[in-house]
Amino acid sequence: MLKTYKTLFPYIKKHKYRYIIGIACLVAVDSAQLLLPQYLRKAINSISEGKTALTVLAIALVMVLTAAGIAMGRFLWRFFIHGSSRRIETALRDRYFSRLMTLPAAYFGNTAAGDLMARATNDMQAVRMAVGMAFVAFVDGGYMSIAILVAMFAQNARTTLAVVIPLPLLSLLIIFFGSLVGKRFKKMQEIYSRLSALVQETLQGMRIVQSFVKEEYFSERFAAINEDYKKASMNLVKIDGFFFPFINFLAGLSTLALVLSGGLALLENRMSPGDLAAMLAYLEMLIWPMLGAGFMVNLMQRGAASLKRINEVLAVDSEPEFGMGIQKTETAPKGDIEFKKLNMVFSDTGKTVLSDISIFLSAGKTLGILGRVGSGKTILLKTLPRIIEAPASSVYWGGHDIASYSLQALRSSIGFVPQDSFLFSDSIKENILFSDPYLPKERFEKAVSIAALDKDLRLFDKGWNTIVGEKGLSLSGGQKQRVAIARAVARNPELLILDDALSAVDTETEEEIMDALLEDRKGKTSIIVSNRVSTLGRADKIAVLDKGKLVQYGSPNELATQKGFYSEIAAMQALSRAPQLEAN
Amino acid sequence: MPDFFETDEIVKGFDSLILKRIFSYVKPYKKLMAIAAISLLFATATELLLPLIIKNVMDEALVASWIAVKEEAEPLLAKDGLSISADAPRMSGNIYIRESSLKGIPEASKRRMQENNLLDYGPYYVTELADGIDLPEKILKDVSSGSGPGSRPGLRPIIQNSLFVAPLSYMEKLSPADAKIVRDKDRKTVVQYTVLFFIVLCLALLSSFGQAWSANYIGQHVMVDLRRELFLHTSRQSMAFLSRQPVGRLVTRLSGDVETINEFFTSVVVSFIKDASIMAGSLSVLFVMSPGLGFVTLLTLPPVFIATAIFRRKARDAFRRQRTWLSKVNSFIAEHIAGVVIVKLFGKEKASAEAFKKDNAELMKANLGEMYIFAIFRPLIELFSYSSIAAVLWYGTKMHHNGLISLGALIAFVNLIRMFYSPLQDISEKYTLLQSAMAGGERVFQLLDTDNCIEDKGTHSIRKTIKSNIEFDHVWFAYKAEDWVLKDISFSLEAGKSLAIVGYSGAGKSTIGALLNRMWDPQKGVIRLDGVNIRDIPVKDLRSTIQPVMQDVFIFSGSIAGNIALGRDISMEQIEKAARTVHAHEFIEQLPQGYETVLGEGAASLSSGQRQLLSFARAVAHEPSIVVLDEATSSVDTETEQLLQKGLAAIMQERTTIAIAHRLSTIKNADQILVINDGRVAEYGNHDSLIKAGGIYFNLYNLQYQGELISVE
Repeated sequence: MLKTYKTLFPYIKKHKYRYIIGIACLVAVDSAQLLLPQYLRKAINSISEGKTALTVLAIALVMVLTAAGIAMGRFLWRFFIHGSSRRIETALRDRYFSRLMTLPAAYFGNTAAGDLMARATNDMQAVRMAVGMAFVAFVDGGYMSIAILVAMFAQNARTTLAVVIPLPLLSLLIIFFGSLVGKRFKKMQEIYSRLSALVQETLQGMRIVQSFVKEEYFSERFAAINEDYKKASMNLVKIDGFFFPFINFLAGLSTLALVLSGGLALLENRMSPGDLAAMLAYLEMLIWPMLGAGFMVNLMQRGAASLKRINEVLAVDSEPEFGMGIQKTETAPKGDIEFKKLNMVFSDTGKTVLSDISIFLSAGKTLGILGRVGSGKTILLKTLPRIIEAPASSVYWGGHDIASYSLQALRSSIGFVPQDSFLFSDSIKENILFSDPYLPKERFEKAVSIAALDKDLRLFDKGWNTIVGEKGLSLSGGQKQRVAIARAVARNPELLILDDALSAVDTETEEEIMDALLEDRKGKTSIIVSNRVSTLGRADKIAVLDKGKLVQYGSPNELATQKGFYSEIAAMQALSRAPQLEAN
Repeated sequence: MPDFFETDEIVKGFDSLILKRIFSYVKPYKKLMAIAAISLLFATATELLLPLIIKNVMDEALVASWIAVKEEAEPLLAKDGLSISADAPRMSGNIYIRESSLKGIPEASKRRMQENNLLDYGPYYVTELADGIDLPEKILKDVSSGSGPGSRPGLRPIIQNSLFVAPLSYMEKLSPADAKIVRDKDRKTVVQYTVLFFIVLCLALLSSFGQAWSANYIGQHVMVDLRRELFLHTSRQSMAFLSRQPVGRLVTRLSGDVETINEFFTSVVVSFIKDASIMAGSLSVLFVMSPGLGFVTLLTLPPVFIATAIFRRKARDAFRRQRTWLSKVNSFIAEHIAGVVIVKLFGKEKASAEAFKKDNAELMKANLGEMYIFAIFRPLIELFSYSSIAAVLWYGTKMHHNGLISLGALIAFVNLIRMFYSPLQDISEKYTLLQSAMAGGERVFQLLDTDNCIEDKGTHSIRKTIKSNIEFDHVWFAYKAEDWVLKDISFSLEAGKSLAIVGYSGAGKSTIGALLNRMWDPQKGVIRLDGVNIRDIPVKDLRSTIQPVMQDVFIFSGSIAGNIALGRDISMEQIEKAARTVHAHEFIEQLPQGYETVLGEGAASLSSGQRQLLSFARAVAHEPSIVVLDEATSSVDTETEQLLQKGLAAIMQERTTIAIAHRLSTIKNADQILVINDGRVAEYGNHDSLIKAGGIYFNLYNLQYQGELISVE
């Protein structure tokens, strides 16, 4: 466990003064708190001795002043210790996130996003509890228990002994209950996520549900999970609901022991009434430290488990900056692009996704790519910015293996518009300026005009500052794609890659975009994946991929006359242009 | 991860309408409510009883302080409202009463009695000696040399019959062993009270558990009912409504928002009732014990209420700020995990980390802000509780000296004040929970109140009479405003025949099927089934008659058999028969668990061809009269392709079929072909007539349809 917590040492060290002051305040508060029952005892004894109200008032006032000091001290230790734990949590989350961003894209493919999220949220919280609450429980509990016990023993050893015996049971019980509750809670959470998953699934498949008139069937299924959830919750309640009453019961037993043994001592003149009152007060104070000891163990265990999960992510290797054993290239990537007998096999499934692909693309030219779903187009494109690492000596740019360029140099030379046109829930403007927040205004204007976004501007109620996302504007699929295009075009990259980036844009707009885009790209290299002949026809060369192989390659005119996939879809799309044909 | 993107208002002020509605769900659980109420009552009562028992032990056995009044004073005391019981210990014209019993007597009369030597404050110790008690030597010696009968004890004890009276000061000087013998009766009292204490303690344990259990049980039941109603309600909404709702938000309604209502029952209601009764209970016990002191306590409370009111507001704001930033930070992380490839493609790892740092720092500020509020509030309440105790001690001393309150009562008072304060410690947290429940409840009820169902007023049942002639009569449809997807579509299809719809993607082909089973209603025109406007047919009847086979095959998590039957009450043989009909049986059989193979979310374990076969089987198992087939375009291997062709043929046999077709074989074999272009019917006829007409279809066929599989998307 200590090994796991090693990650936190530098953070704790950074906040060591806060922790020290916090501990000092905590100990001071605890000590002062021990005084309170003394004042109470003194006051009550004074009353029974028949002292004047003024004397009692004086004692009471000192008591209030002490309580004020305690209140101050309590604020301060919370300020310092909880403040530190929040700061440590924040710093750790910062580190976690920035680490996450440097991990290879493949890591995200193999790890569930929900799991990575859980580490950033629930696990961070558990770690914070360990360095905050658990720490307080440790200092507070340890010091208070010892001090109170000393005070109690000093007052009346025999009675104290009888009273405190059941107390360590409290700590043990908490530890035991903690693990029991933890298990049942986990079970309940599992069913809860099944419940949300079913809701989500049903909502997504709602068209089928309604078409088959299965509303009630799914509602029954949902009800069944609901029942399970209820059972699991009640299972937890059985433990959880018993827990605090039982703690109170045990604490009550201690009070009972005190009243019995203290009372009998009092009857034998071995104890004064004030002493008994003070002992009662001490006992009440002792409950929390004993509970605290148990809580601390639970919190530390949970914190260690969570920290371990965070450490796992922190220990993953980041993306390699250069290919292994490859001479670095210092210049920026420029020039001809070449795939040389590129073979790609997915290591986990052993499936060949690209085999023997050789394509030469001269600098400044445009390559069109056509292929069915699963033909390997996207994988081929992703080897260029090294989102997917190609084997050595199979992809070249400007005569150098692309793995010889630094990631930064390589990626800043590429503008990539992926298929899913992912946008962040920022404003449209921020999304377009994603690559360069200081993009000159003219270039921004140019980019939106190339992507034909300018004609949609009137639809956005806050102009370019309209936020993309659930509560803001929900962009249509085509608009999203066009924002993604503007984002990639904005940086005016050496190489522009459009991975089926216009599929949701209507034909007319697509033509417009292609006209403007190719005008802007003059002299620079572009690769465009599309299923539309109208787009592919503008390329200098077209490569047709099928099942990971290059099946056709040539200029649009060459391919149009060849029998093959390209001419097939050309015919299919002729249908949509039929009215024009008729007009001819 | 719907929760991470939730940006709705998360707190809401108290709203009695929402509260009323939440409580309307509790009505069916009257018995549970009764159990909860009774156990809550017991739990609260026992909690208040325990300190009272301690007070009584103190007063009756431990700090037994008595005073002596002359018998002549009895009528005087009676006039002031104190009737001394006949059992009161009497000795030589003196009656011994407890110090505390004088508290109702006015100061003046007490003074007068004291001046007339009718009242002696003592204090004395009085006890009944048990029969055959063996008093220690020392006491017997002190007693024997004591004063004679008729007098009051000066410094020594007196024994008369079995009554033992001694000044307290004498008692305090006794050795432990001697004291033990004399105070034997007190010992028994202490033991008796201890037993009582234990019983009450056990009751407290049982009732608190019972209360937690029943409150949770009610909450769980309400959640189950509410979720079920909400689920059924949501699933009955029209696609027009549902397609506009982000799925994540609806999931949150059904999961998280309902949960806040549960929390409302288990935490808020229970603790509000309990806290209120504890506070009211302890305050009234205070007043019963001593109205004067109770009033003093009351005077110390205004600052507490003011502080609570201020902090409640501050805590709410802090909580709101914290939640806002938390959801911002969480959605930032979630979004950047989802879009990590974009971050990488643009080389923005560092910039994103920097941007995150800013949000994260804001979150920390909000967290610290919330922490400060509680760090101030809780200690402050504790300070207030000590101020109240101090005031009570000071004023109590005066009262005690005047014999208005016993020492035991004073100690109990101090404990009661603490008890009164304890619920205040976390009152702002509870208020925050209440506010979340209000906000959650509002959203849940809002969804329950939306009524966007497809109008279902049809009464023309077609279950038995169906022949399935379909007719589209000048149908116009737009998903949004005037953005027409279908323009003036008319065609008719005889029962048992098939229609292929051909056209470029996005031309509105799929929409035709969705209109037929009323997923959407057209804006203009009429669709008829056997001559009846489909709006006049009950939706349930209509939809069970027409079964779609969709392009994006949706597989629910569960077994293969379950995905075919979808809850329909059919035997395994029938399921298998359906699978055999469409040739899905072949691949299902080869799966390790056959029909019982469990498919995961999205059913990634099946190939796209297999998924399609499964959806064919699903349609056939439901025995529709009409099938609307949205032919998938994704490519499958040759073997599966052949199976698909056979499966398709099987479905279309003897059924009225509308196929949104891509495969040439489907198109060519159709009885009628509808060519849709730009939302309009461009050509309409059968294969031969269209070829003869020499239009679009002819061009298309001649150009490319040469027995190949056409695949576009």
